[in-house]
Amino acid sequence: MASIEEICEAFADWRTRSNDNPRLSKMVKGWDRVIHFTASDMGQGFTMLVKDQLLSELVVGYHDQPDVIVTGSSEDFCDMFWGDLNPSEKYMSGEIKLAGSQQDVMRIDAISMVAFLDQ
Amino acid sequence: MTAPAAPSPPAQATLRRALGQFPIVTTSTGLAFAALEYLAAAGLVTYVAGDSAWIPIGVAGLLALMAYGFFGELNGMFPTAAAIRIYMQRAMDDRIALTITFTYMSTIVLVIASDAFIVGTALARAFGEPPWVSSLWIIGLLGISVTTNLRGVTVAGLLQDLATTIVVLATLVISALALLHSGHALHNPIQPLHGHSAADLVEAIALGVFLYSAFEWVTTSAEEVRRPESIHRGMLMSIGILCVVCALATVAMSHTLTHHELSSAYPQLYLGVAAIGHSGMWVMAGVTAVTALNTFNGGFITASRFIYGTAREGSLPRQLARLNDRAVPWVPVVVLGGASLLVALAVALSHTWEVLVAVGAALETMIYAVAAFCALRLRSRQPDTPRPFRVRLLPVLGPVGVVVFAMLAAIASVSVNNHFNPAPLIIIGIGAALSAFYVLRILPGVRAKEEARRAATPRRRPVR
Repeated sequence: MASIEEICEAFADWRTRSNDNPRLSKMVKGWDRVIHFTASDMGQGFTMLVKDQLLSELVVGYHDQPDVIVTGSSEDFCDMFWGDLNPSEKYMSGEIKLAGSQQDVMRIDAISMVAFLDQ
Repeated sequence: MTAPAAPSPPAQATLRRALGQFPIVTTSTGLAFAALEYLAAAGLVTYVAGDSAWIPIGVAGLLALMAYGFFGELNGMFPTAAAIRIYMQRAMDDRIALTITFTYMSTIVLVIASDAFIVGTALARAFGEPPWVSSLWIIGLLGISVTTNLRGVTVAGLLQDLATTIVVLATLVISALALLHSGHALHNPIQPLHGHSAADLVEAIALGVFLYSAFEWVTTSAEEVRRPESIHRGMLMSIGILCVVCALATVAMSHTLTHHELSSAYPQLYLGVAAIGHSGMWVMAGVTAVTALNTFNGGFITASRFIYGTAREGSLPRQLARLNDRAVPWVPVVVLGGASLLVALAVALSHTWEVLVAVGAALETMIYAVAAFCALRLRSRQPDTPRPFRVRLLPVLGPVGVVVFAMLAAIASVSVNNHFNPAPLIIIGIGAALSAFYVLRILPGVRAKEEARRAATPRRRPVR
């Protein structure tokens, strides 16, 4: 099980890569959302905002009403934020669960893909 | 990175924009009520005597209820848009699961293509244009659909609710008026076998099942609902609505339309004329066009996102996971649009829409048999997985479902317009063979390439 600090560190890297990616900025244009991450093995929640084409810092705990809820293990979140894990694979096998509209879910996956993978 | 302390989190967060019960009912009904519904309903009439078409529709409704049970249990276990992939993967060998899934996904191309064909033909007819103009309508409709999808435009929930409500109510009213205006009593309303064989009735039931098909596609909305049980209830209500509308429309068609009108590509236009005269044709042309709104929106989004997810998972080439700047998987959208256009134009040129109906009916009943098998198999493989919705008597209903739906699929695949015709079976066979060829021969290479690419990418996460 990863620690809160590890998740926050991994997220910080993800955030920098995402916010520095001009293509990704285009993809999240006009897409202001509140995203909750729930690390089921830790029983811990996190909140991320996407506002004005930028990802916010990761806040420990749930804040605001979410547009999307992502539920997975703390290890999976860490690996995903570092870009070592393809979240779609975990999603298609049922290990990562999502709640939210299909369009919102697509954007989350787009962020994870475009931030790390060559298209 | 700062990680400030937060107030204690709510036990259960609820989505800001979650779907309630009504949108789920309209989505389920709207996806099932494609323009192809009118042609399938008219085709069903030829299999039974007089005005007794409501009987196979009622029987098919009971079978749809059984399918609802299987999908309900599976969706409760895996409330996700990727459910079909997950439960099939867990219930059977992954290669078989993928082959069936890819074959089944071709149904979406058939439905989009058939709707483009039917709407194009109906509009060409309504405007009094020669038949070849319908091809231009088809190209235009699919062109608009692909373009709007690529631009990330989707039909808003409210518009979708409105579209489905209009289609259902207009069909009900037009059907009722057509019956009232006919001025004579029903013929053989409870004697479906009068002058027909039992085999005809079974074929009518297979077509009847097709009238309900796609009601289960709403399970892909499982991640968007306010309450998980909305999906189950929505499917149930949708089956009830479809039963009433299809039964009434079919009886109205059998009662008021000639054989020539029933076998045309636009029986719904004739039904409109029978109900309220020439203006009825325009009403039904408009209603037919509205059905396409739901089909194109739901079909393109569901199929393209599924293809995208499967490509991201590594089961389809990576090129299919390319996104445009609006985060739309543009390759699947273009491929779906192109495939639908080819099928629609082929049908328009060959006038073989009955074959399309039979292929759709066979594929849908096949997937119902697969759902029955998966529900049954997972009872033994994953007995402890929570099942918020549990089918009673599954050990009995499961095998019955497998046998009945497989039998109906077999019958539907060799019967077109009340005649033996192996064309649907050949089309499905080709689709299944191509899927199997891809899964068995090409996919291992795709996966090996993906594995090699990942192995060559160093892990970024620091080792602690």
